[in-house]
Amino acid sequence: MGGNPSRGRMMTRICCWLVDVLSRMLDADERQAVRGDLAESGKSVVRAIWDVLDLIVRRQVGLWAGWQPWLALLGIACLAGLLLSRIAFRLNVDLGQQLMAYYTYGVHFGTLLTPQQDMAWLLCLAVALLVWSWTCGFVLGSLSARAVWLTWSVFYLMVLDSALVRFILSGNMILRDPQPLRLLITATLPLNPATFLFSVSAVWGTLVGVRRRVLPLRAVYVLASAITIFTILTTWMSGWYETAHEEWSGRAWHGVAWPMRLLPLVLVSWPIAYLLAMANRQHTSVNETR
Amino acid sequence: MLGEFEYLILGAAMRLREGAYGAAIREEIEAATRHSCSIGALYTTLDRLEAKGLIKTWMGDPTPRRGGRPKRMVRVTANGVRAAREFYVAVRRVSRGVSWEATRVAVG
Repeated sequence: MGGNPSRGRMMTRICCWLVDVLSRMLDADERQAVRGDLAESGKSVVRAIWDVLDLIVRRQVGLWAGWQPWLALLGIACLAGLLLSRIAFRLNVDLGQQLMAYYTYGVHFGTLLTPQQDMAWLLCLAVALLVWSWTCGFVLGSLSARAVWLTWSVFYLMVLDSALVRFILSGNMILRDPQPLRLLITATLPLNPATFLFSVSAVWGTLVGVRRRVLPLRAVYVLASAITIFTILTTWMSGWYETAHEEWSGRAWHGVAWPMRLLPLVLVSWPIAYLLAMANRQHTSVNETR
Repeated sequence: MLGEFEYLILGAAMRLREGAYGAAIREEIEAATRHSCSIGALYTTLDRLEAKGLIKTWMGDPTPRRGGRPKRMVRVTANGVRAAREFYVAVRRVSRGVSWEATRVAVG
């Protein structure tokens, strides 16, 4: 009998903590006003949780009335996420086979290129992935505002898992005796170098994007130059493999033409065009007010 | 044209005058309608009314009763008064000659 009141107090404390945590999803002013209203009304904590949840849902639904979260969801989370996933997968495979060959046999994995070329390719791809991920993360944060938790989750899972899903659906990968926990960990944690690079860079970009919304014009020019350089470098370097394979097969195998290699990289770079437009608009409006 | 919940908020805010803020408006509506009023519905409708220029809201001073948290104060604008009056007149006009009590008895 003596345990019941203390358990009740404990439940109340947990519910109050829950109200506190949930209300952080609201704007600062609104959070204060709502928590004040709840304190004043003296209604039960369960009702308070329900009230806060109701307001959060209404606010989240309201956010999707604008075009910005939709652009973030479809343009970045889905489109750029799918392309980044392919780039991350390529980096993972190329890096993985080199590391495995080196640590197991102490040799360079034969790719028909020199070790220096392979090293340059991996370095270029890794830096390009960092730059693209940061830019996509920034624009995602900037467009999504408070809907960022949803758009970010779709973006993250798209990059991490779309390759896996593609392989399973195409029948190239068969899950024998799949263990749910292991599958969940593989699907949600960045356990390989490429997805780790992507995650760190994209989280950083998103946090900056949510806070700043627009970058200064000079910073955008630097970022745009970096993206252009890495897009050209990646297209050019991936051609080394195509040429080497063509020569090795005696021209029986036809490599992917450069416009087709360039196209996905241009598509994944679209957020920089948006950033340029936004920064230009802000720069113009600041100049006009002076 | 106002919605009925928008009208209820404008009516409650007009009654409360200087003391119109979130929790007080909610209490007023619950007392008048004898139905619970959710904070979500209240705050999103306040935003809508403010966007239409029918009310003005601002953050008031914090009070100890509210754990030191400020109130979202509400004032009905001249446009708000006009819109509420039009709604009230329309309801009166459409209700002319209708006796709900008699209808209820007839249906029953």
